[in-house]
Amino acid sequence: MSLVARLCERHSVYLIPSINNLTVVRSVTKARIPNTATSKTDKGKHYGFRILELIPKPPEKQQRIVKKIQALPPRMNQMAVDQDWTSVWPGQRTFHPATVPLPVRQGYPKKNEAPPSKYGNAELMKIPNFLHLTPPTIKRHCEALKKFCTKWPEELDTDTSYDKHFPLEVIYSNYCYSGPSIREPMARIVSFRVKLSNLTLDQHAKDKILRLVGERYDPESDLLTIVADRCPIRKQNYEYAEYLLTALYHESWRKEEWENEKTLADMEYYDWDLEQSRKNLVTVYAWPEIPQDYDYENIPNATEYKIAVSDLVNNGEDDFSVNKYKEAVKKIMFWKPDGDKPNEK
Amino acid sequence: MAVSQRNFIKLLKLTNLRQSSTAAQAMPVHEDIHQSFRTREDNPEYHGMQHINRIYTIPNNDLKMITCQGLITMYMKQFKTFAEASILVRKPAVEIISYLNQADYSKPVNKYVLYGEDGTGKTSTMLHTLHYAYTKGQIIVHVPWIRSWFDGPKETANSITKTNKIDLPFHAAAWLRNFKTQNQHILNKADIKLSATHEWSATENSAKDSSLMDMIDFGISRIKFASNVIIKLMSELKQASTSGKCKVLVAIDGYNALFSQQTNIFNDNKQMVPASQVSLTEAFLDITKSDWCNGQVIVTVDKMATKENAESHFPRYLLTNEGFDHLDPFLPISVENYTEDEFNTVIEYYKNRKWIRNLSSDGQKELQLLSGGNPYKLMEYCKHL
Amino acid sequence: MTSLQKLTTLARLLSLRQQSRTELVNATRNYSVFNPTYVKPVFRPEEQEALDQEEELKALSLLPIKPAFTDDTSSEFYDKQVNKFINFLMREGKKETARKALENTFENIKRIQLEKYNKATDPAEKEKIELDPRAILRQAIENSTPVLELLKMKKGGQTYQVINDTFHIQFEKLADDALFCCIKVPVPLTEKRAQFLGMNWLIQAGKDKQMKVHLSEKLAHELIDAANNEGRVIKKKQELYRQCEANRSYAHFRWF
Repeated sequence: MSLVARLCERHSVYLIPSINNLTVVRSVTKARIPNTATSKTDKGKHYGFRILELIPKPPEKQQRIVKKIQALPPRMNQMAVDQDWTSVWPGQRTFHPATVPLPVRQGYPKKNEAPPSKYGNAELMKIPNFLHLTPPTIKRHCEALKKFCTKWPEELDTDTSYDKHFPLEVIYSNYCYSGPSIREPMARIVSFRVKLSNLTLDQHAKDKILRLVGERYDPESDLLTIVADRCPIRKQNYEYAEYLLTALYHESWRKEEWENEKTLADMEYYDWDLEQSRKNLVTVYAWPEIPQDYDYENIPNATEYKIAVSDLVNNGEDDFSVNKYKEAVKKIMFWKPDGDKPNEK
Repeated sequence: MAVSQRNFIKLLKLTNLRQSSTAAQAMPVHEDIHQSFRTREDNPEYHGMQHINRIYTIPNNDLKMITCQGLITMYMKQFKTFAEASILVRKPAVEIISYLNQADYSKPVNKYVLYGEDGTGKTSTMLHTLHYAYTKGQIIVHVPWIRSWFDGPKETANSITKTNKIDLPFHAAAWLRNFKTQNQHILNKADIKLSATHEWSATENSAKDSSLMDMIDFGISRIKFASNVIIKLMSELKQASTSGKCKVLVAIDGYNALFSQQTNIFNDNKQMVPASQVSLTEAFLDITKSDWCNGQVIVTVDKMATKENAESHFPRYLLTNEGFDHLDPFLPISVENYTEDEFNTVIEYYKNRKWIRNLSSDGQKELQLLSGGNPYKLMEYCKHL
Repeated sequence: MTSLQKLTTLARLLSLRQQSRTELVNATRNYSVFNPTYVKPVFRPEEQEALDQEEELKALSLLPIKPAFTDDTSSEFYDKQVNKFINFLMREGKKETARKALENTFENIKRIQLEKYNKATDPAEKEKIELDPRAILRQAIENSTPVLELLKMKKGGQTYQVINDTFHIQFEKLADDALFCCIKVPVPLTEKRAQFLGMNWLIQAGKDKQMKVHLSEKLAHELIDAANNEGRVIKKKQELYRQCEANRSYAHFRWF
């Protein structure tokens, strides 16, 4: 019996469904006094048998108590007025409100309100700051770097001398970002700038290089600018610009076969010595003889006429140039042996 | 005179060539009390700075002879309405006349190019110089408007002597006929003989030492050869002039048409022919060369002389490189809008001719502002007043 | 009134506004875009002067003013009647063409009259020749403007239809009109209608021409004729008067 009871006690949950004669079990349970209490509340009240719990209740969970950690007061409160800022902010770092002892405000202000303060201000954290590059810091950097530097050459004291010794100017840009990517596509662009007068060019080569570069040459400042941006990396662009400049220089020195066939119709420039105008002048002067060569040295006022015609063609026609031409022609047309010049009267 | 040249291409048909006979009737103008805007000096040879801004009247007989080659309908209309052919003595004309008076005629011909904006009076200035040449008894080689040949000619034919050249027989014969009437008296007096025998065809020729007039008559009667006759006539004139038998004044209006790439002339393949391929062009290019003396060449360059759109009125632009090389060195002479004095004179003249009446000073100011002093525009604005 | 105020008022009267009236009036909206409070612009200098003297400019300066029409100018050569004539001459809204046609007409009139003037030898005779084309136009309109008109009325039927088509009656047909079974009643004309008829008869006469003849040539002759109280238009007017005279017994039908 006790065995059964003990078994029941131990395996009550499992046994009950398997035992057909429930009466036996009941009599057994009545026979025992419950000696254990399930809860405090039951203490003293229920001291009989333990209650069978088919689905036992989960034990009550203890509410977790979160202890608030006390934040330290902003560091800036403890900062001395004459502190060494460089050691507070030695390197590049995102903005921190407690560390920066400045009443900075940033952001879009609400109506009748000031812009948001620095605490919890994402705007301030987004933008790049230069708090690590204060003048005293840079000064110290320079001091530290000084021992690695050489002396500035004395010859390069002025801009002119600098331009003379370093005629090529290379321009590119670095970009500072606080975004997730430090790549900036514009950083790849490389510009070469050189004064055309620094290149050794003869008349033909200069003319040709100007035609080749087109708008890249600025006649006012005499600067030739080559911009390379077609490669993805700055180094490649730099090399490409170098290549371009070299190729331009050599190409402009080369004279092709067909370049000898250029005429005035190609509107290069009007060279009076090669043109019909010169022949006309000499023929008219020599008339009725036919001139042997087109030598205009002996013709009075021929140089003035030459300049006038060249200006008329090269600089374009306007009242001024046409009048100049007219005056020049007047002097040739009315050459008289006695040197009498007609006036308009 | 207040009228100025305008491109009345449509009006410039050949019929105009006959309009020279509609010259104005005699008018008792000079019987009026002294009019300060007029000058009584009607011999352009003596026109100088003292006559500037005055109106002078071309005598009717002279006008008939000057305009043998025809003149723009507008001019003839105005002359008829005003019953006199009056021209304003302006600075460019006086300038040219002074040059013509002073020029050394033993040297190669001087060339004067009149240029200016549309309607500033280039043709009027040329008319003035034509009168000068007439009074001086010079042979006048005058082409009133070259473009009229190239714009829809009446008849075209392939040249007999040169391949790829086009003749304009009708125009050539008409020009020859007018040339003859214009210069008959001088040619007869000078008695110019041909310097060489000119073969026209297997059977027809003009023998050496025959009269120049015979050759001209031949050209008029056998219009098939008229273009060739003109070419030969030009070279004969040059030689005669060089040898001192006569003096020649060449006056060509719209000269830049000779260098035009676009014409309304088509060859047998229905392709447009540039002006350089017209045989008449050759003749007038020849006479404007600097290889003869005892003559003067006056041409105008005009924006409207060619079919192409012209952007500038300056001579080198209009002449193109080719034309500039051909004509250079020439003396460009600018014809500009009226000055205030000229404007006032013209208004006075219009009032005198009853062309405008009751014009207040405000009205005159308005006209000046509207026209901007441009002679043609002024004439247009005054037309309906 | 200060000079500045006067100036601004004048400028407003001259309607120196940027917008022109033609731009403002939309084709699909046939009512005015301007509030009825807007007043008409005064663009003639002499009218402005008169207003200034009567001191009405100040009152006007406070009113909104409509922009002037494009053909309203303060030019010395502006003529209201000429403008009206141009408007009658205009077809398909081509005012430019109409204006040019009338200007050419004036030119032709001047040429014709000047030729007469130059031919005349007697100074008294010269005095008589009118050289001003505008005066000739005015005179021509005055001479050709009728005072009476015939209105057709159907009598005896159930309807009394009044047909205003005197304008369309041809010269030859006038005589046949008696055959129609409607009565023609002579009626006096309002000033506006009389002017309309006069001007349009002149224009009609100018257009009755051969293809090769320009309107300006024909119209010039017609205007000169009408100014001298002769020619087709005057004849037409007299013919109309004769008919009115003949039909004067019907005059009372105007009231019945």
